Amino acid sequence: MSIPFPANAPRSRIADAGPWRAALRRLRGNRTSMISLGVLVLLVLAALFAPVLAPYGPNAQPDIVGLVRLRPSFAHPFGTDIFSRDVLSRVIYGSRISLGVATLAILLAMSVGTAYGAIAGFAGGVVDAIMMRIIDAMLAVPRILILLLALALSGGISLPMLVVVLGLTGWFGTSRLVRERVRALSRQDFATAAVALGARDARVLWRHVLPNALSPVIVAATLGIGNVIVLEAALSYLGIGVRPPHASWGNIIQDGADHISSAWWIALFPGLAMLVTVIAFNLLGDGLRDALDPRDDGRP
Amino acid sequence: MTTRRFTTACLAFTLIACSGDKTGSNAIGDVGGTVVISSAGEPDFLIQPLITTTASKSVTDQLFLPLAELGPKMDAMGDSGFEPRLARRWTWAADSLSIAFELDPRARWHDGVPVRAADVRLGYDLIADTLVHSPQAANIVELDSVTVRDSMTAVFWFHRRSLDQFFIAAYNVIPLPEHLLGSLKRADLRSEAFAKAPVGNGPFRFVRWVPTQLIEIVADTTHFLGRPKLDRVVMSFTNNPTVAVTRVLAGEADFIEVIRGEQLTQAQKTASLQTKVYGGLDYAFLQFNLRDPKRHSAPNAIFGDRALRYALAMSIDRPAVVKNVYDTLAAIPFGPAPRSLGIADTNIKQLPYDTTAAKRMLDSLGWRDTNGDGIRDRRGVPLRFSIAVPISSRPRQRMAVLLQEQFKRVGVDITIEQLDLNTMVGKLMGRDFETALMSWHPDPSPSAIRQTWTTTASREKGGVNFGSYESPVFDARIDSAISARSVEQARALYHRAYETFVEDQPVILLYEPNLVAAASKRVHLGDFRPDAWWAGIRDWYIPADQRIDRDRLGLTRAAN
Amino acid sequence: MRRLLAARAAQAVVVVLIVATVVFALTHFAPGDPFAAAVESGNMRPAQRDALRAQYGFDRPIPVQYAMYVRNLARGDLGWSFSRSRPVAATIATAVPNTLLLMATALLLSLALGVGAGLLQAARRDSIADRGSSALLLVFYSMPDFWLALMMVLAFAYALPIFPVSGMVDPVMHEYLGTWGRVVDRVRHLVLPATTLTLLLTAAVARHQRASLLDAARADFTRTARAKGLSAGEVLLRHTLRNSLGTTITLVGLMFPALLGGAVLVETVFGWPGMGQLATSAITTRDYSLITATAIISAVMTVTGSTIADVLTAIADPRMRDR
Repeated sequence: MSIPFPANAPRSRIADAGPWRAALRRLRGNRTSMISLGVLVLLVLAALFAPVLAPYGPNAQPDIVGLVRLRPSFAHPFGTDIFSRDVLSRVIYGSRISLGVATLAILLAMSVGTAYGAIAGFAGGVVDAIMMRIIDAMLAVPRILILLLALALSGGISLPMLVVVLGLTGWFGTSRLVRERVRALSRQDFATAAVALGARDARVLWRHVLPNALSPVIVAATLGIGNVIVLEAALSYLGIGVRPPHASWGNIIQDGADHISSAWWIALFPGLAMLVTVIAFNLLGDGLRDALDPRDDGRP
Repeated sequence: MTTRRFTTACLAFTLIACSGDKTGSNAIGDVGGTVVISSAGEPDFLIQPLITTTASKSVTDQLFLPLAELGPKMDAMGDSGFEPRLARRWTWAADSLSIAFELDPRARWHDGVPVRAADVRLGYDLIADTLVHSPQAANIVELDSVTVRDSMTAVFWFHRRSLDQFFIAAYNVIPLPEHLLGSLKRADLRSEAFAKAPVGNGPFRFVRWVPTQLIEIVADTTHFLGRPKLDRVVMSFTNNPTVAVTRVLAGEADFIEVIRGEQLTQAQKTASLQTKVYGGLDYAFLQFNLRDPKRHSAPNAIFGDRALRYALAMSIDRPAVVKNVYDTLAAIPFGPAPRSLGIADTNIKQLPYDTTAAKRMLDSLGWRDTNGDGIRDRRGVPLRFSIAVPISSRPRQRMAVLLQEQFKRVGVDITIEQLDLNTMVGKLMGRDFETALMSWHPDPSPSAIRQTWTTTASREKGGVNFGSYESPVFDARIDSAISARSVEQARALYHRAYETFVEDQPVILLYEPNLVAAASKRVHLGDFRPDAWWAGIRDWYIPADQRIDRDRLGLTRAAN
Repeated sequence: MRRLLAARAAQAVVVVLIVATVVFALTHFAPGDPFAAAVESGNMRPAQRDALRAQYGFDRPIPVQYAMYVRNLARGDLGWSFSRSRPVAATIATAVPNTLLLMATALLLSLALGVGAGLLQAARRDSIADRGSSALLLVFYSMPDFWLALMMVLAFAYALPIFPVSGMVDPVMHEYLGTWGRVVDRVRHLVLPATTLTLLLTAAVARHQRASLLDAARADFTRTARAKGLSAGEVLLRHTLRNSLGTTITLVGLMFPALLGGAVLVETVFGWPGMGQLATSAITTRDYSLITATAIISAVMTVTGSTIADVLTAIADPRMRDR
């Protein structure tokens, strides 16, 4: 469930090393954010070194009659699933796909959203109005419905396509944020001055306005990753996400959802992994927002 | 089986005659009660010419009687397996090309008008008329026409003799009230109020349909075959199969036709519930596309080779994969006719599970792993194909993951394509797939196999032989079986046809699931016919001492 | 105000047209059609399907179908639903009130809970209560919605069967109950889906509320009030809360898509016969007209929601009122 946070009030600030360095310093001072960041770094390392860390192959089915649904034990700390596969190994390998898909999708969404918002904001007038009505329309239909439609109707879907679909349905809010920021900034003195000095529009946008509009995008991206991880899981749970036998946290949960009361471990562990990750991203996002927004320095 | 025959015979007399019987189940105290049936699908219509789902059929069959009904033995060859319903008796013409059905004079529509031969003719006309676009039309192409000999006798005329003539007439053509429907515009049948709120002649009468929620029907207490024991049946629907089962587990509904897996375990642990295993007609298999998906005139580069299909079939440990998915609740098929079908044969030799032989065979066909990536290849092409599987079927999705791993062990690489059901059917129709995990639900007729597996079914527009299995030998054996002179001769011919089928291995037959229903212990269920679990609802009853609030409502209509 | 409403209405028309076009394109370029499922289940022969496709115009070129669709839409005709075998408008009309009931209940509950929690947290900033409730709400905020719904069903269907887990009323008894009995029956069925939706929304509301309260607490008028000698609690309630109310109203407008999205899932899991359930079943049955109509209706709901929020903000803000 995501509710877009309102854009911070636009402020005039010229991009230079100062504010970014100050933000970094503020972030470092925030213990919660640093712990979250630590957790996330660990997760990324686990994903990178999955072949070393996982005790078994993630897709190996050693005995589909005898070794299915084994309780957690020394040999299988997270138990085995309905196909006799080791759940721990699958959760570790699953982090690759869950984190990877979410990160790439968010990168795509943020790039498209920033570009779209910047163009609309800078162009203004009729172009802006049309572009923003399209955004209104896309935001007016629940994202899960658009995703269901796109995926259910398109037939089987490959991993890159999944990233693209998740990315292309996730940029509407960002583009609005960027557009508001760009509009406010381009009315500022430095932009007018640059244009007066003969700089071309595109150059002004690229060199002066965009860097200043980026901080809300960074916050939105961090908060958005958690969101996409959950969405990917929901889609895999509905059977239209990551293709088997590849493990993603969502389709491990799907494998376990029908066996919750007799083999709770199949769905519980990937669920916990997902919960921890999403919480970490949300806390880090909060920290980033505070760090990038000097008003909110914690002193009333 | 004998008890059911007895009950049916009993229903043929009047209610008073039966209630004198003291054998328990028919005591008068058992009359009454409400059964709530939970369904994962909402019916589309409630008249035979328009229905397309089993949910619709299960309600429609309570409201309308056929001329004769298929008995519990599912013997659909000839007429010996049928019991009289609206028709009191029937006679064959000397040339066997027509059957005259004589109606029971006691039969009445629920508005009191007697059932007449013209109603039978209308039941046929509304299916046959191309204006209606009836989904059942293809089932009655062997019928030439239905005529009215006198007000109580309708005659069915056939194009040719076959073992399933009687089945075609009695199973597909359901009489409809001429006095109510005779003058309507047939092209608009789908928007007629009658199509969703019909006046029937069956053991139950229609009360109300609340869209997306429920359909309520109540007993016709004056029915000429005796009133059903229940007062009321409510079908409560949702589009979520899990919710449908949960309703029964939580006691909100009394019956669900299929329950599986963890929910079945739950039901077995629930003191107030009973479970009942019954045979179905479904069978599932891995369908090879024997043609090139892109160029239909060319044979498939991989599956066109029978030896390769053998190798693939021998790579699958069928007992193990079936046990994993269904535990003990499914059997391995012997041929294209599931066990519950009257024409089934369980004495057909099967290919063994033998991965060593499978690997040897693949080697000899030139499929070897030359680049050491674990996948066999030949002339630079890896042995790799996709299995299409519908998202809506959990058992088949699970089966796909098992097959994928088993094929991997012999060096075959599988991609699982999870498709939305509509997309999947679209691809099957367009013959645009490599392999597909499919499940068929044949009707109980002797010609069900011809409609699915013959060359005609492969080549005709819209034919359902999606894999393009075309064997003249198989076709000839099936054709001669259907037009055989005797049932024994037909069985022998079917046997040889199934042998050909397994020898050709156009599919890997995987499983025939048994079905498990769950019901409240209050409800005493009869036997289920494999093609229609609902066929015996008129005999279900709830003992007087086990009734709950909804059973005591009586026959009064709802307030509004 | 009138200009605001007129502008919003014009905007709504444009939004609806875009939504209709996008969804039309998505559905009609995808393979498959509404009749394919009946073929797989063995209940319809493919030749029949072709005939039905022709009868309903699915075999015509897509631009022609689109032109027909838009023309009918302009006349207010939403088309015919194949999966329900009724007009789309009638199908939607039965579903919308059910969804509104569910959404309104969850909206009110989550606003009450969320604003309360936000208030508590802002008043006792950095206390154990603030940190504890923040943490708890964060867990709910981060929890996958389908997972929470699954757990609710599991808990209340098997472990603690005190509330019905599906449907809106008892399928049989409801018709035979008195007025009060019917109200109670309906409320009992509402408990689980509404609670689930509320839990999913509350965390977001509380996070917004806390942030906006803290913002307001830093504002000048608060300092002035404090300087006048009012206690911290009085300031919070009398000045800060009132001033942050605008944000809350804006939030309600923003919540509509999320509410609808949540309703899709919650209705599916709990068998609630509303728009969400209608939308998912329309997608699986490939019921083109119904899919497009549910998308249009949810767009209309969203636009209406944000318009109401704007109007309320305008009323609450004297500067806007004068314009």
